Amino acid sequence: MRGLRKAFGSTVAVDGLDLDIPAGSMFGLVGPNGAGKTTTLSMVTGLLVPDAGTVRVHGVDLWAQPDRAKRLIGVLPDGLRTFDRLTGAELISYAGLLRGMDPGVVRERRDDLLAALDLATARGVLVADYSAGMTKKVALACALVHAPRLLVLDEPFEAVDPVSAGAIRMILVRFVAAGGTVVLSSHVMALVERMCDRVAVIAGGRVLAVGTLDDVRAGQDLETRFLGLLGGRGPEQELSWLRPSSA
Amino acid sequence: MVATVVRLKLTLLRHSLRRDPWRLVVLLLGTLWALGTAPSLLAGAWWLAGPGTAGRPEILVVVGSLLVLGWVVIPVLVFGTDDSLDPVRFATFAVPVRVLVPALGVASAISVPAVFAAAVCALSVVAWAGSSPTVTFVAALGAPVSWVTCLLSARVATLAATRVIGTRTGRRLAAAAVVVVLAAVGLLVGVIGSLGMSAALEGVPALSRVLGWSPLALSWAAPGAAAAGDLSGALGRLLLALVWVCALVVAWGHLLRGVLTRPVVRAGPPRRRDDLVLDRAPRDVSRVAAAAVAARARRYWAADGRYLSALAAGLLLPALISGLVAIVERDAVIVLGPLLGATLGWGRHNDTAFDGSALWMHATSGMRGADDRRGRARGTLAWAVPVVVVGSVAGSAVAGRWDLLPASLGAGLGLLTVGLGVSAVASVLLAYPAPRAGASPFAAETGGIGASMAAQLVSSVATTVLALPLLIGLALAWWWEPTVGWVTLVLGVVGGGALLRSAITLGGRALDSRWAPLLVRVG
Repeated sequence: MRGLRKAFGSTVAVDGLDLDIPAGSMFGLVGPNGAGKTTTLSMVTGLLVPDAGTVRVHGVDLWAQPDRAKRLIGVLPDGLRTFDRLTGAELISYAGLLRGMDPGVVRERRDDLLAALDLATARGVLVADYSAGMTKKVALACALVHAPRLLVLDEPFEAVDPVSAGAIRMILVRFVAAGGTVVLSSHVMALVERMCDRVAVIAGGRVLAVGTLDDVRAGQDLETRFLGLLGGRGPEQELSWLRPSSA
Repeated sequence: MVATVVRLKLTLLRHSLRRDPWRLVVLLLGTLWALGTAPSLLAGAWWLAGPGTAGRPEILVVVGSLLVLGWVVIPVLVFGTDDSLDPVRFATFAVPVRVLVPALGVASAISVPAVFAAAVCALSVVAWAGSSPTVTFVAALGAPVSWVTCLLSARVATLAATRVIGTRTGRRLAAAAVVVVLAAVGLLVGVIGSLGMSAALEGVPALSRVLGWSPLALSWAAPGAAAAGDLSGALGRLLLALVWVCALVVAWGHLLRGVLTRPVVRAGPPRRRDDLVLDRAPRDVSRVAAAAVAARARRYWAADGRYLSALAAGLLLPALISGLVAIVERDAVIVLGPLLGATLGWGRHNDTAFDGSALWMHATSGMRGADDRRGRARGTLAWAVPVVVVGSVAGSAVAGRWDLLPASLGAGLGLLTVGLGVSAVASVLLAYPAPRAGASPFAAETGGIGASMAAQLVSSVATTVLALPLLIGLALAWWWEPTVGWVTLVLGVVGGGALLRSAITLGGRALDSRWAPLLVRVG
């Protein structure tokens, strides 16, 4: 990514962001609320047109050759709806067929993914009736079904239970071991620390620190370092009235 | 509480006006229209008040019934007209229903249509102004009751319809109701057609007698009864009207309580063993994407409240319109097929926005825009073609004009394909926000009035212009030479099909370069 910039009205969400993500890495993007994580990932995946800057995926310019670049990427966006009047199984098939995959291959992979993500019993249930965590998992399956080279995951572990989170982590680790690249954003420092080999801390639409996990941590644990980078303190305004009342 | 909710309504109105200047234009146009009709309404009331006017009570009863019916039907059948506050938003505030009912009631009175209805109700007093003081007094008592009946009927109707469409049994009931209404309209047309127009007009007094005792027009009939010297009848009607208002309040409160405490849940998660998207996928890999979109569209037509209400309106409005014109001219019922084609085809002009932010799946897949367009068109054609054919055949049968069947079929199928073609381009270039899946399909979306007006205007004009040869063909077959209908048929099927095909290419190309901005617009 080079010089990425996006402004919504007078609010600059991403301000001249440069970031190199080596192929084959598990890259964590961390930052406070409103740092520009989702905006950045949207511009990387073709969901949001940047005001300036370029995005290259394995040498393909995303905004110049979108159909070639999009074939390489699997996307899990955060806060967007899915076609939730389809069943879980249908949604995965739908994602595969939209990408022009062979129906026979889609069928095999759909069943593998449903089993791997512990969704097999809910395969015939409408996604509208899924819990938040199940919706996240089925969306992840949709991102995986065409076996991309790069996975861009926005908050992949939000609302996911520990057992499923473990399963997802295993899938991602194996994917990276096989040569794939994962970019994920998260608020949960411990999780990023455990999974990722490279980290970028962003705030206010700019990169504050980037590099291998150990470089960024600089001898501290990630959370302490993160708060130090942001100059973060606890909330100063105490809500002294916030206690159970009879009213 | 009343003041708080009214202030909330006014604040929301102010914010939406600031965000969307077009809304101000609509508001002003609506006000202008209402003011513009005022002189003619006043003149009508004056004429009714004149001493020599015959049938004053009957006319007023019919006017009153139509007013109430309009308040019930229009918010349910015409989308985006319900700008009342969504009661679901109050669910977490623990406001008792008996506090919420008057608050929402007063807030719903703040709108141009409500003021217009108030004026019409007030004019009924003017119409009785020339009579004895007692009659005028009864009319003055009845007017506010009539107005409140309108407002409450609209609230109960939209809330009930939203609840009904939200559940599966309810959807079946709604479908059954649609069939019943269609049958009733057909029967009515048949009866009136066999009687003839003048004989039908002679039935108006009897009709108004019935309506005058129905909840639709109790308060409108009261002054008439008083004028005829039946004071107890007048008071009885007023009393019954008040009872009916109370019943509406109770019903509304009951529905509100349901909305607040029991949000619509689909009864037990339904299970489907078959993967309807994958099982019907074609072998040919270059065609799977479009086929998947079409399969998904078919699922949504059967499972999503927004599509279902669009479907109900798309079937009912043409049936009602052709029923009404058939009362005047029996042969005119052959427009049923063409009207169905026009509403179903043009009705998809904002199809992409119905996906909302779920469109990201299409946007990130790298699929060709043309495949997206083709899938959507096929999803509608699959059931709309049979519907138009049935409509055309039924229309020709009722009219007894089988010689006009080719023309009716040609115009119907042509309007369907032309409308879908215009939609394939318009839903990319002129998309405007649509209600989200699971939201009330009747609610007006905030922030999109200007865009929606422009899109509706442009797409309907484009459809009309492109379909002009077909409309001319239909007119020639009807009034000049029925064999012209065969030309219309060929033109509609072949020409319409060709137009749809090139529109899919065109819309697809537009989509290829606009995925991301479109997603932002509809998300």
